[in-house]
Amino acid sequence: MQKMILIKYGELTTKKDNINLFLRTLQQNISKKLEQYNPQITYDKGRMFIKASEEKFTKIIEDLQEVFGIHEIIICYELNTIDLEQIENELLNILNNKSFQTFKVETKRSNKKINQTSIEISSKIGSFILKNKENCKVDVHTPEICIHLELRNTKSYIYFESIKGLGGYPVGTLGKGILMLSGGIDSPVAGFMTMKRGVKIEAVYFESPPHTSTEAKNKVISLAKILNKYNLDLKLHVIHFTEIQEAIYKEIPHEYLITIMRRMMYRITERIAKKANAKILINGESIGQVASQTLTSMRAINEVVQLPVIRPLACFDKLEIIELSKKIKTYDTSILPFEDCCTIFVPDHPIINPDPKLCEQYENLIPYEEMISTAINKHEIIKINNKEKNDYEDIL
Amino acid sequence: MIYLDYSATTPVSYDVLESYNKACKEFIGNPNSLHSLGVKSKKLIQEATKQISDLFNVLDSEIIYTSGATESNNMALIGVALANIKKGNHIIVSKLEHPSIYKICEYLETLGFEISYVNNDNEGLIDFDDLKRKIRPETILVSICAVNSEIGIRQPLKMIRQIIRKESTSCLLHSDMTQGLGKIPINFHDVDLASCSMHKIYGPKGIGILYKNSYVNICPLIYGSSKESTLRPGTPPVPLIASAAKSIRLAVQDLDRRETFIKRLNEKITKELKTYDGILINQTKYSIPHILNISLKNIKAETFIHAMEEYEIYLGTNTACASGEFSTSVMAIFNDKKRASSTIRISLSYLTTTDEINRFLSHFKTVYNKLNALVAN
Repeated sequence: MQKMILIKYGELTTKKDNINLFLRTLQQNISKKLEQYNPQITYDKGRMFIKASEEKFTKIIEDLQEVFGIHEIIICYELNTIDLEQIENELLNILNNKSFQTFKVETKRSNKKINQTSIEISSKIGSFILKNKENCKVDVHTPEICIHLELRNTKSYIYFESIKGLGGYPVGTLGKGILMLSGGIDSPVAGFMTMKRGVKIEAVYFESPPHTSTEAKNKVISLAKILNKYNLDLKLHVIHFTEIQEAIYKEIPHEYLITIMRRMMYRITERIAKKANAKILINGESIGQVASQTLTSMRAINEVVQLPVIRPLACFDKLEIIELSKKIKTYDTSILPFEDCCTIFVPDHPIINPDPKLCEQYENLIPYEEMISTAINKHEIIKINNKEKNDYEDIL
Repeated sequence: MIYLDYSATTPVSYDVLESYNKACKEFIGNPNSLHSLGVKSKKLIQEATKQISDLFNVLDSEIIYTSGATESNNMALIGVALANIKKGNHIIVSKLEHPSIYKICEYLETLGFEISYVNNDNEGLIDFDDLKRKIRPETILVSICAVNSEIGIRQPLKMIRQIIRKESTSCLLHSDMTQGLGKIPINFHDVDLASCSMHKIYGPKGIGILYKNSYVNICPLIYGSSKESTLRPGTPPVPLIASAAKSIRLAVQDLDRRETFIKRLNEKITKELKTYDGILINQTKYSIPHILNISLKNIKAETFIHAMEEYEIYLGTNTACASGEFSTSVMAIFNDKKRASSTIRISLSYLTTTDEINRFLSHFKTVYNKLNALVAN
């Protein structure tokens, strides 16, 4: 008998043709995530099995709760037999360490060569427990513990409760997207939600020193580190945006500042996306939240790019977004008070119904193509790596 | 040299000193400055605080840096007293505290606060019934050290906290944990406030911490401008704070193994010293092995210490901070003035070697016989 961790897949079991890609990616993601524990991972079309040293199970389970594509995480006992009598004896050993008053047995039998049905097996095991363990009875509706038994080809598995996984698809199975990551509350949540659907992300951050500070950039790096828990080896592209932003401020009517600035950001992000072979842009826009997120604004801004822009939060209320950001633990970092690109040079009355034609006219007042190329050519790429030695580790 | 006064202070460990040096050289910015050098220093403090708070499982904001345990004790006792002046004016302390606690209490008495001293049994344990009796509606604070500095008595803080909670919902518990940190597992969640000092755990002198649970309000004792801490304003001592984080990290590891080793050394010394007629061992079942206190019946402690010093062996009398006076802790437990007036404290470390103890015992014998013969004449 060996104790191990069993993983049940969620939605990905419905993918018929490319299930192998999904499972292979999940296995790769999990082995990367659990690297430090030296786990042994095997899988078939129904389940994934993780063997590692038992005292590390708590940590491993914590880590697995940050991997998309997992429906349930279960600590289970693997028995090298499908003989019911042997199973009963092993089960009794396991149950000796557990105290309960009511129980039920649920059997799954993928090995159809066993001639008893699942229900027959359950009731046989149940009556065995009743005979051999004192002070307990069966309760099929609300049992204190549910004993799950799975009989496969040559092995059987016993487990009790399961821990909910994150669900979604394994990150990377659906290609790549570029997330516009500011230091705010919304964009990290948008990134999280896109990753949930199997999209691997890279992030773009616009900095405007000296108007924005190193602390603001560090904050974004901290946010990227949190997202990196779900998306190992996240790349953060830092774009030096000062010249563009100052030129816009100098040359363009102030009510159009934000609209034009967003158009520039979209253009740059798309250029980064194409270079990185990403198929979509992702941002945290939510309909109506601010002037640049009215439908008219979205249209005027969106038209400068060809790649689809995914806005996972488009239809969420601010409070719902905040709740999500607390759940994924980006909230406390997001609310740290540093200026970012979008909060400096804010006009008193930004236009809420910008005219795309005027946008074009105004933009032509500055040599933006050239400026964008310069910004892209000298942009900084930070490879986020949570395992990387922290700068302060030596000293502390 | 054989150093056996580790409870007075410890040598700075090589690793901690490296951190101190590195922080001095590489983190020159004022953490309150806006520029990147300032940010870098600030980040170091934040990381250090995070490391400390993670080790104790408390919030970052619950750790306050001070100059040492005496300041932490001041901040805790006076701070709580002033902040709760409307709730009450009664404070309870044990009879086994560090002298700094008593000095603070004397000061608080001049401000109109009333101090009660809770009794202990003859094993040194706080008398729970007496504590219950002494808690009144106007009692705002109880202060009891985790480990006594002279005899090493360890108190069950968790139980003490429960007793206080039963008697009063608003009375706080402070503990001077200076002699506990790095020797026994300590839990800040057992108390509302706790004082610690780094020079007792192989860190530099001049840095300590006060743990203050976030729901506890205290009055600041020092005023100034600082973004980092309103309770202890001024430019934070970056290298000292980095050293503190490192000292704590190194001190709380391997506690069990170190304790087993030190216990063996303690037993070796105790076994031999028990054979001397003129020596009493001031130890109870609640003493931790790191501190071994003895009374010399016929020889003055001071004379003995200096005589040992000739062999480069360094011992303590009672708490270094109260040297020269008689031992209040020995008095509180054994109620024997003569016994309390000539005590020696041998304090051990995981750095102490068996060879050192053998040499110590051999010189002890020589010195003892010589001085005892003098007295006999």
